[in-house]
Amino acid sequence: MNVIEVKNLCKTFKVKEKEKGFIGSIKSLIKPKYKKIEAVKDISFDVEKGQIIAFIGPNGAGKSTTIKMLTGILYNDSGTINVMGINPNKKRKKLAYEIGCVFGQKEQLWTHLTPYDNFKFFGSIYDLENSVIEKKIKEFKEIFELDEFINTPVRNLSLGQRIRCEIVASLIHDPKILFLDEPTIGLDPIVKENIRTLIKRMNKEYKTTIFLTSHDVGDIEKLCKRVIIVNKGEIVLDDSMENLKYHYLNKKIIELKMKEKVNLDDSKGITILKDKGYNLKLEVDTKKTSISDALKLIDANNIIDINISNVPLEDIIKSIYKGEK
Amino acid sequence: MKKYLNIYKVTLINELQYISDIILGFLSFVVMIFIFLNLWNYMYDDPSSLIEGFSKSQMIWYVIITEMIWFGTRNKTLINQITDDIKSGSIAYTLNKPYSYAIYVIVKNFGEITIKFLFYLILAIAVGLIFVGPIDFNMSNILMLIPVFLLSFIINACIRIIISMLSFYVEDAAPFHWLYDKIILVIGTVFPIELFPKFLQPILKFTPIYVVNYGPSKLVIDFSMNSFFTILMAQILYLIFVIILLSLIYRKGVKKLNVNGD
Repeated sequence: MNVIEVKNLCKTFKVKEKEKGFIGSIKSLIKPKYKKIEAVKDISFDVEKGQIIAFIGPNGAGKSTTIKMLTGILYNDSGTINVMGINPNKKRKKLAYEIGCVFGQKEQLWTHLTPYDNFKFFGSIYDLENSVIEKKIKEFKEIFELDEFINTPVRNLSLGQRIRCEIVASLIHDPKILFLDEPTIGLDPIVKENIRTLIKRMNKEYKTTIFLTSHDVGDIEKLCKRVIIVNKGEIVLDDSMENLKYHYLNKKIIELKMKEKVNLDDSKGITILKDKGYNLKLEVDTKKTSISDALKLIDANNIIDINISNVPLEDIIKSIYKGEK
Repeated sequence: MKKYLNIYKVTLINELQYISDIILGFLSFVVMIFIFLNLWNYMYDDPSSLIEGFSKSQMIWYVIITEMIWFGTRNKTLINQITDDIKSGSIAYTLNKPYSYAIYVIVKNFGEITIKFLFYLILAIAVGLIFVGPIDFNMSNILMLIPVFLLSFIINACIRIIISMLSFYVEDAAPFHWLYDKIILVIGTVFPIELFPKFLQPILKFTPIYVVNYGPSKLVIDFSMNSFFTILMAQILYLIFVIILLSLIYRKGVKKLNVNGD
């Protein structure tokens, strides 16, 4: 079952253009010039129930714009959006009961209130009965380990604690889809890991569909089974995580530590990434040269240490952003 | 409805943090009243004379009441919230909640001004009694004054929000707030409408001044059933008008919303 269906989605922003300096400002006052920016160009995709999907791309690619259109904050110029069978443009309030949003860089909690009071408040916004809210808070308190600070005003919480509360506040009404916009931004590795585990657990226990944007490759790698990459407002890749990795598995990184200096040059299928005499780093394209052929170039008796690994996901994504295939 | 009550409650609790700020504001209120007290003392050379039908104590009480409305209901939320929400993008969090954004801002405003207004009400009565002394006032009028004051606050809030929503269209609504401020403060707060030239008076009765601060204040110092119904009627018509205007501007404006960045 598809919970999100997007077809031929487009959004153009009109941005004021100003010439430089004071005179430019005066000119734009009298005769404002506008530049059209196509933030989203003809995007189509479907998301199935229960999926964790990564929606990634470089800055300014149109990720947030797309999320904001999916959640009914922005209006699309053309194309159709269908979230849980609802058109976000027409029934924003009705949609609000079905979805939850966490924007890692913005706050929705009331800073003077404790997380507990906040959750009660957000629960009542969604017309939940008091007893239901209490039950939910108890549940989340355990899952998200909020016990320590549930009665501390939000302004006194650390960023990691606050983000956990932000996520809970967005989950209090049992949304079917959770939109996470950079939920782990600014967090330390342990808290990041913690939040990822929680998101995974939630996806398993409540079958919540999760739509995630992040610049953190770890988030994507550990959480998502499917990746959509957008760049300049267009989808450049929509594939499963496995395929994405497999596609680039033909490239291997070989790191060598040698007893003696070796002189190696770029040859067919082999690229020298780093050459420090005793230490070498090579990239081998196994479609052109097999690993064993590559290793034949090196005197096996001289090897102290060897490490053969896949190209890191981060590099794969980087090369896709740059438009290399 | 219950959720709006909750928003009201939460902002009310939140506002308890700022009581010291409210008390600091008392100082400028007292200074203002002191200036007008002296001004009117000078204008009324004979304390028993009337100016445009107002006795000296009525005139000073009028200023006390309008200043009380001005100080007691002035709130950042109405002026800055929408512009700030749009500029910072946190509107993304408020727009996709299951409530109406406009009502949310109004309710939040009332949560924030409730305590402040009550404080100013007590202060205004105290200042009036000390500096001017009691005026002719029938306690049973309070029942009729409550809806008039409430409507005045609601209309004022709606107008402020309409002005704030101009930030959907222009980059900053602050100049329009400034204009409204000055109209309310200079024309509405300081002098009753009767003191203006005859040809201006009918025009002034169509401005928000009549329903927002002149009407309620006039009823406090000079109550009559006749003027009560006229003012109440005017307020109801005004309210319908601003609500229609508000929903039109909101519906059109929200489509123009532009949230940049992440």
